[in-house]
Amino acid sequence: MKTEKNELLHTLLDFGEAMLRSGAEIYRVENTMLHLAKAYGATEISIFVITSSIIATIRLPDGQEATQSRRILNASGTNLGTLEKLNALSRKCCKTPIPLHRLRKEIEDAKSSVSLPIFLIGSILAAASMCIFFGGTAWDAVAAAVFALLICLLQKKLAPLCPNNIVFNLLCSFIAGVAICASARLIPVLHTDKIIIGDIMLLIPGFVMTNSLRDMLVGDTMSGIMRFTESLLWAIGLASGFMLAIWLIGG
Amino acid sequence: MGIQIITALLGSLGFSLLFGLRPRYLCFATLGGGICWAFYQCCLQMGLSVFVTCLLASAFSAIYGELLARIMKAPAPLFFIPTAIPLVPGSTLYYTMRSVVQGELSTAADYGIQTLLTALAIAAGVSLVWSMFFMEDRLESYLKKK
Repeated sequence: MKTEKNELLHTLLDFGEAMLRSGAEIYRVENTMLHLAKAYGATEISIFVITSSIIATIRLPDGQEATQSRRILNASGTNLGTLEKLNALSRKCCKTPIPLHRLRKEIEDAKSSVSLPIFLIGSILAAASMCIFFGGTAWDAVAAAVFALLICLLQKKLAPLCPNNIVFNLLCSFIAGVAICASARLIPVLHTDKIIIGDIMLLIPGFVMTNSLRDMLVGDTMSGIMRFTESLLWAIGLASGFMLAIWLIGG
Repeated sequence: MGIQIITALLGSLGFSLLFGLRPRYLCFATLGGGICWAFYQCCLQMGLSVFVTCLLASAFSAIYGELLARIMKAPAPLFFIPTAIPLVPGSTLYYTMRSVVQGELSTAADYGIQTLLTALAIAAGVSLVWSMFFMEDRLESYLKKK
């Protein structure tokens, strides 16, 4: 049986999940859900968010209570556009709550992923400029841009096949590493180290790591430790993949 | 050094695009990366150690992010993440890996420690600023209640 409170909870969890998936800090997710639940009439709210699940209980003015939980798998992305839209949406809804079905639709709209051309241009620009930033030549930058495309391709095609982000980072960095080392062998003007450094920047989980430290600092120790461990494992996967490639072909 | 500031700008722009930042915020995020690196270089010129410099630069990016967040009424990570991009220790991580593969373990340890220290400095700088802004928020709501 569908009831108003269950619908409200479900939408709240949708909101929280979308925020987690766009890379928001735990503190921000909990706080936003709390404000939204209040705006929609809940008198008592208790929300617990960690990187892999959300549990929320609300109590309505008539004394009824409801609890729902949601398992979150593989939340590792960063989407600043979605984060910003969700933030604006929650601000709007806290002032004047919109009907739940419209809120659900707006959450869906906000979840749009980055368009492919923008994603490609961003990756190319980022890898090429970081390559020069760390001392590469113009040719290195061109090569870094080409291999950034390869990494993008892997992120789109290989990532959905991988069981988790550790395996993906290992495979992706191994494939990219082999391609970079091999082409630097064939084309002597290229510097392997500068190209790899440029492309590594696309894969390093630096932001997740700083986020996890912030989580710990504001008291979300569990999530913080979890995210920190995860990001460390991703980095280890990344390093192992590149090391394997360098060992195989020679850096 | 000039080329580094320009590439830091472009790098921050690239990451902003990659992370789906909306066009209206792009210029602030891009500018942040350049200013952050210029600030980093200034600190180094003043003779500060790499660790302290990195800490100050990350604190600087966090302040930049929080202030813009307040002005633009948008979440701080939108501005902080692209701004701090030039500080990410990608190169020392690579040299750590290469030294491990080549069997030069003491060089690897040197680079590894440098990488970890840089990560720690970034986190420490950011955390300091974040906790200050957090307390300021609490203080404000406390004063409002009174």
